[in-house]
Amino acid sequence: MSFWWRRAIVSSVVGVLFAFLLVFMLRAIFGLDPLWQGNVVATVAGLFGGIGFLYGIGCFDYWLTWAKGRPISSEDHSFHGVSNWKQYFRINTDHKVIGIQYMTMTLFFMVVGGIMALLIRTELAAPGQQIVDGQTYNGLLSMHATLMIFVFAVPVFGGIANYVLPIMLGAKDMAFPRLNALSFWFLPVSGFLFLASMFTGMFGAAWTAYPPLASQGTAGQTLFELGVQFAGASSIATAINFLATIITMRAPGMTIWRMPILAWATGVTSVLAVFATPFIAGSQFLTMFDRVMGTNFFVPDQGGDVIMYQHIFWFYSHPAVYIMLLPGFGIISEVIATFARKPLFGYRAMAFSMVAIAVLGFGVWAHHMFVSGMAAWLRVPMMITTIIIAVPTGVKMFSWVATLWRGKIHMKAPMLWAMGFLFTFLIGGLSGVFNGIVPADIQLSDTYFITAHLHYVLYGGSVYTVFAGIYYWFPKATGRMLNERLSQWHFWLTFIGTQITFMPMHWQGLQGMPRRVVDYDPRFATVNAIETIGSYMLGIATIIFIYNVVISLRKGDPAPWNPWRGRTLEWMVSSPPPLFNFDVIPQVVGGPYQYGIPDARHAVVFAPEKFGGELTEDTRYPVLVVANDTLASQGLIDEIRSRNADGLWSFEFLVPVGDDDRAVAERRLANTLAILAGYGIAATGRVADGEVIAVAGDEGKSRQPYEILVATLPTASSAWMRQDAVDRIRKRSGIATSHFVVRGDDARALTAASALPLTMIVATGAVGADALAAVIMARFDAQPARFTIICPLDLPQPRWGSESSEIRRQAGERMTATINALVSVGVQVQGEVMDDGPATALPLAIDAFGPAQILVAGVNGEAAALADAASAAAGETPVETVNLGAPAGSE
Amino acid sequence: MATTTGHAPAPSHGQDTHGKKHGLNAELIGMLLFIGSEVMLFASLFTAYFFIRYGVSNEVWPPLKQNGEPFELPVMLTGVNTLILVASSFTLWWGEKRLKAGDRKGLIRGLWVTILMGGTFLIIQFNEYAHLGFTPQDRAFSGAFYALTGFHGAHVAVGLIVLCMCLRRVYKNDFTATQHTPLAAGSYYWHFVDIVWVLLFLLVYVI
Ligand code: HEM
Ligand SMILES: [Cu+2]
Repeated sequence: MSFWWRRAIVSSVVGVLFAFLLVFMLRAIFGLDPLWQGNVVATVAGLFGGIGFLYGIGCFDYWLTWAKGRPISSEDHSFHGVSNWKQYFRINTDHKVIGIQYMTMTLFFMVVGGIMALLIRTELAAPGQQIVDGQTYNGLLSMHATLMIFVFAVPVFGGIANYVLPIMLGAKDMAFPRLNALSFWFLPVSGFLFLASMFTGMFGAAWTAYPPLASQGTAGQTLFELGVQFAGASSIATAINFLATIITMRAPGMTIWRMPILAWATGVTSVLAVFATPFIAGSQFLTMFDRVMGTNFFVPDQGGDVIMYQHIFWFYSHPAVYIMLLPGFGIISEVIATFARKPLFGYRAMAFSMVAIAVLGFGVWAHHMFVSGMAAWLRVPMMITTIIIAVPTGVKMFSWVATLWRGKIHMKAPMLWAMGFLFTFLIGGLSGVFNGIVPADIQLSDTYFITAHLHYVLYGGSVYTVFAGIYYWFPKATGRMLNERLSQWHFWLTFIGTQITFMPMHWQGLQGMPRRVVDYDPRFATVNAIETIGSYMLGIATIIFIYNVVISLRKGDPAPWNPWRGRTLEWMVSSPPPLFNFDVIPQVVGGPYQYGIPDARHAVVFAPEKFGGELTEDTRYPVLVVANDTLASQGLIDEIRSRNADGLWSFEFLVPVGDDDRAVAERRLANTLAILAGYGIAATGRVADGEVIAVAGDEGKSRQPYEILVATLPTASSAWMRQDAVDRIRKRSGIATSHFVVRGDDARALTAASALPLTMIVATGAVGADALAAVIMARFDAQPARFTIICPLDLPQPRWGSESSEIRRQAGERMTATINALVSVGVQVQGEVMDDGPATALPLAIDAFGPAQILVAGVNGEAAALADAASAAAGETPVETVNLGAPAGSE
Repeated sequence: MATTTGHAPAPSHGQDTHGKKHGLNAELIGMLLFIGSEVMLFASLFTAYFFIRYGVSNEVWPPLKQNGEPFELPVMLTGVNTLILVASSFTLWWGEKRLKAGDRKGLIRGLWVTILMGGTFLIIQFNEYAHLGFTPQDRAFSGAFYALTGFHGAHVAVGLIVLCMCLRRVYKNDFTATQHTPLAAGSYYWHFVDIVWVLLFLLVYVI
């Protein structure tokens, strides 16, 4: 065991022993009877034990040194970063390490809470008693809900945001790295106190812990109260940290309107956490005083007021549901924009609606108390605010849907979870409106309808979004891709399991089955049995997830820097990112979601100070682009351009030729390089003989590029993909390899708007002749260019007559033949048959295409006439003439 | 520069990393937010107090103790105590102003007076507890009274500890006219503690 853990255990045991001693001594001195008072001891021991642990693990060392006035160095990074997995178990100040610690810890609690849920469901599988008695059931229910809320759903987003937010903002760490570590270590203390209550008699007053029930009960209830305080402290500390980070540590150029939505979400959530959490601290202090010190806050005949507890509790706990949801909304916004390849619809509306939710969220708490006997006049105002708060939530819903609308949707695992979220959360949101209406709620309160609602909201809003986030950033955080097939299984089992488990609960509730009961009327037997089966599916799904994580960590595919082609800053650093995230802080120049907008970029990278801090294009990391059929296609060129916009990459093309024609491949490569050069993108390339997997795999292994990008036609029409080239190249080279698909016509289309000079070929009889193709090919080989063939036809009158149509059709066919012949040898060309004679058509064509050069190709003497017309129309443009001899088809 | 292997000069933790050196830096923002959450903690206790005062118990005010006599609070003495605490805010403010003018001695004097006044406040408060004639266990009102004043007293104690640590730093010459974030943060906290007390005095003792 490491030094730190030994110290932690020793000092927490010392803390506990000291607490015992203190309590006995004080009680003896003041003559209190009996000496042993479980509640008091539990409180003091829990407190001192917890603080002892935090001290032992090293949370306070730096500050204590400071307080003692010893010299300290703010440059001390000995607790930053990890070099092996064991170091994840000790204190660390690196936000990335803390993020992973957070995630592991909260997911651990989710699993424990989930096991409790499965026990609950097993008990409820049939009427009557199955495995536990009523008291234990209360304990299980309370423990399940408490773990899920206080040490899973609330802190889990702190984990994700801890990892990605500083990188997204372009910061090297959080504002207060040591406070960050402390916030994390509060969590195990809190969870330990909850779980320790199993040995003192489980707390059984549910996660809401209403007095007077909570004033009774075992010492476990006291541990619950203490645990909530630690969790709350963690929440407040992280929230302060996030806000300070967002306010002061954004990269230059990152205005608040250029922040990713996740930053907005985290900021708003943090405001909620800072200002709401003290209320639950207050409420738990008061119950604790009643239990431990014998005060009378909740003893009505001593002037106490039990409803007061509910007001204070819900004044936190309603905003808390947004603490559990808003960061998830942020994650979903990131995921949907990336996987729909569209700018996020209504960015500002998204941001403002979150602010609105937060503000309104403080004004709805009493909707949890409609049947509590609170002041009756509060009901209607709270109902109205509750219904109003559905509006900004609806704004977000519609924004997500509008982002999806006509997007290029990629159903990868993160996107699946996002879709699952939209569906599940929608149902939860709708049933929430029912709960908010006073007359409906009077019927629904304390029935399974509430249980259904809260699980739809929390499963959809917390679990699905957390998984969306995990699947999205796992490659970034670990450098490994998760297994996609297992990921899909995990999603679908969870999704179906959720619906089976929780959907029937709506009906059950409407029929009047009360929540929080160990036994029920036999008429609910069937639905309960079905729900139990659904919950087992959820359990299996979680096992699949854990298995997937374990095997992917050990031998998953290496992750490229940017596997999802995201635009935010975390995708501009390696996977996993370097110790301090950025060697050089990036300069933000635009919004984060400009997918599909040509040349838009979110940020540029500056050179280190020693080079003058100028924008640099020289420090680039090589990407090996493996392509052949798709070279010079519009799709690939666009992809390279958008990657180039990151300012991080240089491109090396590798064109493996097996049986195909080497000259063709060379021509395509030359064309590609020329097009890219026209865009100012420096790329190199070579043609290599051999089979693609061997050539690319070995090249990757010896060259060690940062990424291999294999571009192919869609799988069905790609010979490479039929051999599973991407996976095998990845295996052979050991380099992160991604696949880019060039769809359908994109592959053959003339690269539009390229900077290559355009040569206009003017031909009529020559169109279709092999000689014309040969001339164009020769020109292309001399210097890559784009070609447009114009075929002006002198049609006989009437132009719509059958004779004209025939001529037009034949010309069209000959044109197609020429184009196909050229494209098949790697020359890009387009053509147009025009209805007017050269004199009328050429000026129009020259005007439309703006060629750099005109080449007139004639057969049998027509050349001279064509050349005259062309020269007349050309103006400044140089005109050349070639005579091809015999007309098409005459040989 | 390679990315995964080489590291840029590491950022330092703590005060000198980020943002401006004067004005609102990350530390002060953090302190303000922390004070915000403390305000809410007191707000929750005040909520409890008002529920007990105006909520279910339709009794006379001040309510009756368990022995049937009304609760009585020493308003005059506490009023004087309030003045002491409020004055200590001003002495601290004066001390900080002296530091900004480059007068370290002035700061030391200001801090000493502030700390002594804060200590006096606590002593008077303890003395009051001893002579009140009711305990937290008496009735709901007494619980609320002790919870509010007790939490506040704990905050004064924390504030005093922070100021003492600052004083020690001043003697070590760690603060300059432009670099004194811990002192500034501590003084924010102290002013907050004072303002809460004024509210508490008005809402619990006076009305
Ligand atoms: C395997 C998945 C889960 C199952 C099978 C499950 C099942 C249940 C059941 C049956 C109850 C009601 C018990 C009763 O009223 O007697 C319950 C309560 C609760 N669950 Fe879950 N749950 C699951 C996951 C979650 C998650 C992920 C969360 C939160 C993030 C959560 C939060 C809660 C809360 C807060 C309660 C208490 C409701 C109350 O106070 O009445 N559960 N759960
Ligand atoms: Cu609510």
